[in-house]
Amino acid sequence: MRREVLRIATKPMYLFCMIIAPLLCYVFFATLMSNGLPTDLPAGVVDLDNTSTTRNIIRNLDAFQQTKIVAQYSSVAEARKAVQKGEIYAFYYIPEGTTEETLASRQPKVSFYANYSYLIAGSLIYRDMRTMSELAGGAVGRATLYAKGATEDQAMAFLQPIVIDSHAINNPWLNYSVYLCNTLFPGVLMLLIFMTTAYTLGTEIKENTGKELMALADNSIVTALIGKILPQTLVFFIMATFHNIYLYGFLHFPCHGGIFSMIMAGLLLVLASQAVGIFFYGLFGSMRLALSAASLWGVLSFSISGFTFPVMAMHPTLQALSNLFPLRHYFLLYVNQALNGYPIIYAWHSVVALMLFLLLPFFVLKKLRQIMETYVYLP
Amino acid sequence: MKHQPFRNIVRQGLSSLFHICARELKNVFKDQGVLIFFILVPLAYPLVYAFIYTEEVVRDVPAAVVDNSRSSMSREFIRMVDATPDIKVQSYCADMEEAQNLIEEGRVYGIIYIPEEFARNISQGKQTSVSIFSDMSGLLYYKSLLMATTNVSLEMNKDIKIKRMGNSTARQDEISTAPLEYEEVSLFNPQDGFASFLIPAVLILIIQQTLLLGIGLSAGTARETNRYQDLVPLSRKYNGTLRIVLGKSLAYFLIYSMVSAYVLCAVPKMFSLVQIPDQITLLVFILPYLLACIFFAMTCSIFIHHRESCMMIYVFTSVPLLFISGISWPGAAIPDFWKVISWIFPSTFGINGFVRINSMGATLSDVLPEFRALWIHAGIYFITTCIVYRRQIQISHSHVEEKLKRVRKYFRLKKKEDIIK
Repeated sequence: MRREVLRIATKPMYLFCMIIAPLLCYVFFATLMSNGLPTDLPAGVVDLDNTSTTRNIIRNLDAFQQTKIVAQYSSVAEARKAVQKGEIYAFYYIPEGTTEETLASRQPKVSFYANYSYLIAGSLIYRDMRTMSELAGGAVGRATLYAKGATEDQAMAFLQPIVIDSHAINNPWLNYSVYLCNTLFPGVLMLLIFMTTAYTLGTEIKENTGKELMALADNSIVTALIGKILPQTLVFFIMATFHNIYLYGFLHFPCHGGIFSMIMAGLLLVLASQAVGIFFYGLFGSMRLALSAASLWGVLSFSISGFTFPVMAMHPTLQALSNLFPLRHYFLLYVNQALNGYPIIYAWHSVVALMLFLLLPFFVLKKLRQIMETYVYLP
Repeated sequence: MKHQPFRNIVRQGLSSLFHICARELKNVFKDQGVLIFFILVPLAYPLVYAFIYTEEVVRDVPAAVVDNSRSSMSREFIRMVDATPDIKVQSYCADMEEAQNLIEEGRVYGIIYIPEEFARNISQGKQTSVSIFSDMSGLLYYKSLLMATTNVSLEMNKDIKIKRMGNSTARQDEISTAPLEYEEVSLFNPQDGFASFLIPAVLILIIQQTLLLGIGLSAGTARETNRYQDLVPLSRKYNGTLRIVLGKSLAYFLIYSMVSAYVLCAVPKMFSLVQIPDQITLLVFILPYLLACIFFAMTCSIFIHHRESCMMIYVFTSVPLLFISGISWPGAAIPDFWKVISWIFPSTFGINGFVRINSMGATLSDVLPEFRALWIHAGIYFITTCIVYRRQIQISHSHVEEKLKRVRKYFRLKKKEDIIK
């Protein structure tokens, strides 16, 4: 084990993968999404009517938090061009004579166009534009009702008999940072653990020190493995604890189940990822293939763990497959513990699954011993 | 007089260029590791990704209903919500506690709560509210729940209004319920789908990352098999920086023109994603992107001393690169500092340009800034590649000279010994 500490300390690659790379990602994502929700997304207006009413609509739209009107266009074609150039994400179209027709009760029609090739930006502006349209329609009706002598309550009750009162449990700000960082951080860490584990085992063979290692461990592969992995476990665990403290202690993201349970979840994730790393190496027996497999598996975790696109909506095959990714279980644990603070009993299967990953190395122990003792590195 | 040698140089240069290109190709196809990244990953990865997101949208999110009103009105509301494609009413609960339990167990992702006074208020002409509670583990659950209930409430509002108005014609009904009509249009992604939004960006990123990995891998191999751990072997064919750089990049370019044709044209077609590009524009745009990526990867490969280290360094960057490009996270909300950093990578411009050309049918003049930036990238990285390769050549020259000196010394000593004898 002391030998391993020395090896880690002397190779810059370890420093990079175990400390610099995760830190870099933490800082990157935390600063990238520091606003939580994007604000002032550029949008455009095609106002062919140009009356005080329509100008009022546009001003109101601009006042919404997510939308910022950056330009006026003289035609739909021009606005569409601007969307294609990427200058605006959406535009609002008010045809000529809108005000006049409203006053004459001829039911004019306004339209809004949101570019869904940028899903988040598009849907945020869409929401503002739709609310605005409802309000504009309501404003016309309200004026008529007031004129007839209705009170505000009566007018609102008439215009909107049923309102929807939405509660986003535990993330009322719809903060994207809360929603993404909590899984991205451990995800990056997991990817790096996969690779570092396969890499450490691989370098032993590459530098022909496998026998030396085995001799140090009295020819017991278990001792050798534990000795090799333990220092890394420590470092990675510190990194995981660090991001937990950073997220919940410093950024004050919702953590209802107590930070301790998240730290334990971090430990489980670190161990499970290392186990997967060992398993990959034992399975393939060559560092190159093991690393390739680890990187592909790791990158895929981000999509399949379901924190952006729910697993529920995936193909049933993928739903089953998603269980093979440690990040998926960590995500479920996080939702259960930190985000919602439900009793751990409801997430027992995730805990068990993460522990099952720890059994993986035992399947390849025999092969690993063989590799360590006899394999020669082939470029 | 002067013309002749120049032509010779060109001819010689071209012949060694093709020689290097052919050797590089052979190397690529011999090396299992490089093949994985050049062929297997671009072939299989897009399929996996497209498969994950193939459903595009979330349908039938299971929700629980707590109906305290128990009136025909509230039942109608629930029926209409259930009928929307977004929500499926999974269970009817007696009280909030029961519904809360279902959420905790992960059986439902939202609760629709209809208060006791729901029907009473409506018939009394008062405003009433329906509460929805959503599990926030995925924003898409919230979106489905909100969209479905809002649409249903608008629909019901309309009916209620019409009943109260007592208008005489249908047209009058329409006008009085919606004095100002509106229409929403989803541009360029008609089903608001996840795949149509994310996959194009991923495809472009796959090209850059696999090039980085593949070229890094082969550079690492070249160093490891070389006696002095030099990147560039020394032989008659391998003098002249330009030939080496051009020869190698030609080999990569040949492979990748094939790969990108598959990745960028065949994959979206297979999964019937939005694909409305102008063929020529796409071709003209992808050319500088490929060149920029190849030279970028070759410049970076200089830091790779062992074949495996490139994976350790490059792989984790994929996730941040996707975010920084302005697709997943709106470009307008990226801090300036990261924006400047993102200009280093060809993928930023590649993704933005490709999404606009492919999904939005932009023409070349619409993506001119990106197009220009990619050519600048290609130029800059070509120059840096030449510089670093030139340095490598010098290093290997000096290695060989040292060796030569040692050999000479050895022979001189031997000669002296012979003479002494």
